[in-house]
Amino acid sequence: MKTIVKILAASFVAGSALSAVTVMAQDYPNQPVTIVVPFSAGGPTDTVTRLVAAAMSEDLGQQVVVQNVGGAGGTLGAGQVAAAANDGYTLLLHHIGMSTAPALYASLPYDPMTDFAPIGLVTEVPMTIVARKDFEPASLEDLIAHVKANGEDVTYANAGIGAASQLCGMLFMNALDTKMTEVPYQGTGPAMTDLLGGQIDMMCDQTTNTTSQILAGEIKAYAVTTPERIAVLPEVPTMAEGGVENFELAIWHGLYAPAGTDQAIIDRLSASLQKALADETVGNSFAELGTYPVPASQATPAALAQKLEGQTALWAAVIADAGIAAQ
Amino acid sequence: MALNASRNDLASGALFVALGGYFALEGLKYDFGTPFRMGPGFMPVVLGGVLVALGVAVAATGIGKPDAEAAPAWPWRGIALVLGTILFFAATIRGLGFIPVVLIAGFATALSSSRNSLLAALVVSAGLCVLCLLIFKVGLGLQLPLFGPWLRF
Amino acid sequence: MDLISSLALGFSVALDPINILYCFIGVLLGTLVGVLPGIGPTATIAMLLPITFTLGPETSLIMLAGIYYGAQYGGSTTAILINLPGESSSAVTAIDGYQMARKGRAGAALATAAIGSFFAGTVATLLLAFFAPPLARAALNFGAPEYFSLIVLGLLVSIALAHGSILKALAMIVLGLLLGMVGQDIYTGTPRFTFGVRELFGGLNFVAVAVGVFGVAEILRNLENEKEREVGVKAVTNLWLTKDDIRRIVGPVLRGTALGSVLGVLPGGGHILSSFASYSAEKRLSKTPEEFGKGAIEGVAGPESANNAAAQTSFIPLMTLGIPAHPVMALMIGAFILQGITPGPNVINEEPALFWGIIASMWIGNLLLVILNLPLIGLWVKMLTIPYRVLFPAIVLFACIGTFSINQNIYDIYAIAFFGIVGYLLIRFGCEPAPLLLGFVLGPLLEEHLRRAMIISRGDPMIFVERPISATLLGMALLAVIVAVLPSIRKKRNEVFVEED
Repeated sequence: MKTIVKILAASFVAGSALSAVTVMAQDYPNQPVTIVVPFSAGGPTDTVTRLVAAAMSEDLGQQVVVQNVGGAGGTLGAGQVAAAANDGYTLLLHHIGMSTAPALYASLPYDPMTDFAPIGLVTEVPMTIVARKDFEPASLEDLIAHVKANGEDVTYANAGIGAASQLCGMLFMNALDTKMTEVPYQGTGPAMTDLLGGQIDMMCDQTTNTTSQILAGEIKAYAVTTPERIAVLPEVPTMAEGGVENFELAIWHGLYAPAGTDQAIIDRLSASLQKALADETVGNSFAELGTYPVPASQATPAALAQKLEGQTALWAAVIADAGIAAQ
Repeated sequence: MALNASRNDLASGALFVALGGYFALEGLKYDFGTPFRMGPGFMPVVLGGVLVALGVAVAATGIGKPDAEAAPAWPWRGIALVLGTILFFAATIRGLGFIPVVLIAGFATALSSSRNSLLAALVVSAGLCVLCLLIFKVGLGLQLPLFGPWLRF
Repeated sequence: MDLISSLALGFSVALDPINILYCFIGVLLGTLVGVLPGIGPTATIAMLLPITFTLGPETSLIMLAGIYYGAQYGGSTTAILINLPGESSSAVTAIDGYQMARKGRAGAALATAAIGSFFAGTVATLLLAFFAPPLARAALNFGAPEYFSLIVLGLLVSIALAHGSILKALAMIVLGLLLGMVGQDIYTGTPRFTFGVRELFGGLNFVAVAVGVFGVAEILRNLENEKEREVGVKAVTNLWLTKDDIRRIVGPVLRGTALGSVLGVLPGGGHILSSFASYSAEKRLSKTPEEFGKGAIEGVAGPESANNAAAQTSFIPLMTLGIPAHPVMALMIGAFILQGITPGPNVINEEPALFWGIIASMWIGNLLLVILNLPLIGLWVKMLTIPYRVLFPAIVLFACIGTFSINQNIYDIYAIAFFGIVGYLLIRFGCEPAPLLLGFVLGPLLEEHLRRAMIISRGDPMIFVERPISATLLGMALLAVIVAVLPSIRKKRNEVFVEED
């Protein structure tokens, strides 16, 4: 009986295989495109992806489906895309974690540099250094002096090893050459809860999570981590203004295809990404989140490849400095 | 039955001791930490130890109290086929794809009941296949190929 | 009155025919998907989330809220009918709900769940409307020490979940706590008990564990004596509640609503405890505690009400502070952001129509849920007449596909098989699965809050008794142990007395 099933199956398969051969770059895309987000639905990366995906569907004339494959700091979803067919129908939207994974995970089944074909940068989300609203220091200068004076008595929340909030804290402590007491959380959501409740002193998080709380006066903002002040928080100084040089950090997001994808498809996707990022609704929604789409010149394979390479080297050094062993 | 003890209590106690022992011993490999900064080994070692103690206590309460009812027969066929199907599903869902896996898995699970004949199992598996296709593929748009890469030539 | 006009504004939004329509569609879809085994409310919402993207902000969030209630109710239905809980709260419902179903009282169990949920939802919605901001402020006083003490209290009280040996129930809780430790330690990144498998770094999936220890274990149990007896459900007696039933559920529904409303406000894990706490309370207060675990209707009424009340009040921290209490709320935040609204303290002032519209629609969603589900009860109960030998292959397959569809992680499926056999062995040896699941969901929280509290206090355990809320909770935990131990001491003394006689 099983043989009958097998023959039936085989004939079906032969049919679908034939149709697969006819899929060429010229008529790409002729079926829905899936973008894998290596984090759970509802998070900041997922939100960014869904906004971009909606705009890209319009341009590509095909549905762009977002699929969440969370786990192991984003390495599971990335691994799945690295192993997927390089036909342009399975893509990956990943953030800065793409560049920190090699330093944090001992046995990655993929190489971020060689197993992916970059399509383009999507956005760079600034980080903000914030504190509970009754924290004593009045300005960024005061804060730096306070942290230097009190060291480990200052509690600093982060979302676990390798999270953006933890990377930012590492850079901050490196810059001040001091140690604070790190208090890890499951995510920055619960960390924000404790910051609002005054249970901990400080944290550093993306504007996507902090802007509304800062504007409502629920938490204090001391600095943004970008070279320039940002539009939604004009009052908040940059780290350089407070006298801390070389402190630049943004959570950059990039779109990738599996390595070996046809160049014509990559170009098509890159053009579509640029169009999506120029879309007014996308721009407005990003602004609500306290971020902005990258300019068209950055939403290119070359720009993303360069970013990935530079960041991978940077974080390998910072993570090794901090004495964090790969798992 | 010469054994003057509850087989159930002895067996569950042993299972708790084994599982607790595993967690505690494996937990010893991780950093235990200090009270200020408890390490990843702290909770597993403490709780593993507690579970071992509870397991011993469970077994001890069973001594001298034989089970009132005789143990039911082991459903070997069910265990093998139901668990085997689940393992088969996990191992092949990516490779073989939706339709073959659902057909074979439905057929094998149905056979784990001695009340299902070969024909009945076939009917059940075909019916389930159609139902699953309608619900998950058509209804929920599950992203999974109907036939997986192993079946492509 | 300010509040009256606000509520009027809310109802004018929620009663818009289009919004009612989408609320109804949401409730219906949520129920239908939530009923599938292996798919709990979180997975249901994640799957149906994209449907709402094309709608306007109010309509889309109203539909989403509808999906949430529908999914929750659908999950309870699966727990009652086939003993397969999709989330921790319905694990409690499964204890007595499934036993009721086996006695032919599935209709009464489902009706109790629907009515209890509706009542609790109504009360909790009112609470949300009147007291949201102050309640959210109060909840912020809960830090790591308070949550740790609360969880200890919850664990100790929940020993009442067992209807057999207390020792075995304790052991199952501890085993659950240990299973909760599997995965990457958030404090150091160390992977624990993962056998080097990166798919396990995120920990075991709740649905996989629940499907294993409840669903698969139950199927194996039923295959034991298959030759001698037809397993499954006795003939259904009546679909509706008797007068006696109604008398019996009034108290549990009221108490469950109160407990759930309070616990739901706490964003650090309060809602998880609500149904377990309510079950324990009802069993302790009952004059016939021996009926619990064998189909006591109070064991369905209390937890279902508590769970729904908590589900409702867990919107309080989200809507007033913008912080999510659990994964479903995190999904909601995503949905808010996609609609161009950043959840946070300002939503109530900047988007009053949205804020009050959602509150009003919560109540309407609950109402629609009852209207939809009471007639559906007959249909669900009919499903039970499907012969078991056809039903169980369906359960196994649906559970596998459902669990796989959540994260596309095949290790979740392997976990079903592993927990199926472990669960089967433990149940065969007289242990019960519900305490294990409670331990499993609370384990990570217990460890996280303990370690965080110790970091904040710089290693001083006195923090747990120096902070008043924490000290009170620990005091209650101590009291609970004393109350639990006293009867057995008295019994021993009586035994001694008898011997002397």
